[in-house]
Amino acid sequence: MTLAKSAEQKLGFWLEAVSRYLAYAGGAVLAVMAIITVASVIGRRLSDVGLGPIRGDFELVELGCAIAIFSFMPLAQMRRSHVTVDIFVQALSPRAFAFFGFLGDVLIALASSVILWRFWLGFGEKFPYGSDAFRSALAMGSKPFFVETTFELQLPIWIPYGFALIGAFFFAVVSIYTVWRSLNWTLEGQEKIL
Amino acid sequence: MTGLEIALIGFGFMLLAIFLRVPIAIAMGFTGFIGTWVVLGRPDPMLAQMKTLGFDTFSSYTLTIVPLFLLMGNFATRSGMSAALFEAASDWIGHRKGGIAMASVGACAGFGAVCGSSLATASTMGQVALPEMKKRGYSDALATGVLAAGGTLGILIPPSIILVIYAVLTEQNIVKMFMAALIPGLFAAAGYMLTVAIYVRVFPDSAGCAPRKPYRQRFKTLAKVWPVALIFGLVIGGIAADWDWSKNGVQALFTPTEGAAFGMVATALYGIFTGGLNWLGFWDSVLSAARSSAMIFLIILGAQLFNSFLAFTQAPQMLAQWVNAQGYAPLLVLTMMLIFYLVFGCVMDSLSMILLTIPIFFPIVQSLDFGLTPEETAIWFGILALIVVEVGLITPPVGMNLFIINSLDRSIPMTRTYLGVLPFVFSDLVRVVILVAFPGITLWLVGVIF
Repeated sequence: MTLAKSAEQKLGFWLEAVSRYLAYAGGAVLAVMAIITVASVIGRRLSDVGLGPIRGDFELVELGCAIAIFSFMPLAQMRRSHVTVDIFVQALSPRAFAFFGFLGDVLIALASSVILWRFWLGFGEKFPYGSDAFRSALAMGSKPFFVETTFELQLPIWIPYGFALIGAFFFAVVSIYTVWRSLNWTLEGQEKIL
Repeated sequence: MTGLEIALIGFGFMLLAIFLRVPIAIAMGFTGFIGTWVVLGRPDPMLAQMKTLGFDTFSSYTLTIVPLFLLMGNFATRSGMSAALFEAASDWIGHRKGGIAMASVGACAGFGAVCGSSLATASTMGQVALPEMKKRGYSDALATGVLAAGGTLGILIPPSIILVIYAVLTEQNIVKMFMAALIPGLFAAAGYMLTVAIYVRVFPDSAGCAPRKPYRQRFKTLAKVWPVALIFGLVIGGIAADWDWSKNGVQALFTPTEGAAFGMVATALYGIFTGGLNWLGFWDSVLSAARSSAMIFLIILGAQLFNSFLAFTQAPQMLAQWVNAQGYAPLLVLTMMLIFYLVFGCVMDSLSMILLTIPIFFPIVQSLDFGLTPEETAIWFGILALIVVEVGLITPPVGMNLFIINSLDRSIPMTRTYLGVLPFVFSDLVRVVILVAFPGITLWLVGVIF
């Protein structure tokens, strides 16, 4: 007995693809950041011949890292990459083992939802647009009095927040899906090895 | 209830959750969240902090090193460096008794110089060296044991991901940590080689010999290793060497984060030019680095919540005061901590252990008098902790390196790998005792450079 197994698998197929492409995008951000950094160091070294470091490279790396890491989260949950201590539970039956995996997924779903909820509010505090009605409909809180920007580049902070939010959103979606998936594994009595 | 009691209950609750297969990051995070709620009596301060906590934690210039080094290690894994290193090492010493096992250790050390992860080092070198050792009549126990142990060199020899995180947690200088790890890392490689030499003398039929290679051939394969040396030299030389002698102090070429970016780009270029890294391999590396990075950063986030809970209870300071009031000998306290790591290392992974215990152990260590400056103590303790948590990777029953090597050849029973690694665990323990007895071995290079 399972809970809508075929629908679950279909959704899983799509979420796997979304997670993978998000991770690719995060990897591309990381690669671009690394290249900017290398160029900046070379420029700094060659300042005698008129080149110079890239302004704000430090900031870009920081912001890029946060965006990349958030966009890696869905894939890690989809493929169950988070470290667990299996040795004690392994002694139980395969069904019980799968059940404790399910429990872990429930907690991750809870945690990722809380992270998304709080992050959304944090985003609302940085995002300077939208009418009051629009904002209250989306639970974004009141409009900030000034636009918070980064120090060096004066980049509005809500932009990197927004990109990171995409990852946080799919992290929550994927986590809720994995609860369904591991529930089915528990009902089947055996966990699938990813 | 005192803060110490709340902290103890929280810690017990968290351990229980971890042992019930709750992901470690989540167990730490929830304990931290609920614990802070209990201590403060209301959840709002924590909730308010969490609006920006995730982004702030992940947008760290220093921690950017972690995904960069992970990507670099993944590129290195696919670029054929491991084969070049192993070939060079086995051409030089493979004809000796046990020589191929020693060559594996050497190649692992070389690979560790471009890869900051033990598991990646073990699996990459294992794929190259295990078939060769089987072909030359090495016993299963020796072949798998030496590779599992050699893998731990990946994290000991800089770049090292755990050291980056330790340095961030304890506010130490990453470059100094890397420099301090270098000599213990080489020392470890030498110890493993010595262990192989003794092993093949005690069990003479556990190893065969490869034919002796002419010197022309040896230099030819050695010449193929230069990119590895170049990348290591670029990263480590760039962050630790003095590039402007006209100014006082060490004027490094770049920061550790910039060094990691250089290393990653250089390794990718090497892979592309040697043909080992194609388009598909590049994106596969991204996915694999993505999963490890997400895993590590989620643990860091969970540890943040847990640590602020501990700080609210003031348990770490109380514990440190209590330990001091008892008047135990500093070395006894240190030994107890290292034994704790060894025991827990049998069931837990190394990064989680460091993140869990450092907030508690570090204030205690800093309050003890080892006759060193606070910074020296911090560096020395970091290296010791790193080595003992790494021993956890090769101690039965849960040693990730053992699983990885064993999974490369299904015909080898796990028990034989367990037996084969024991001499190397012993070599690790001897090394820890020596490093504890002589802090100078760890601190000498740091003193010379800075």
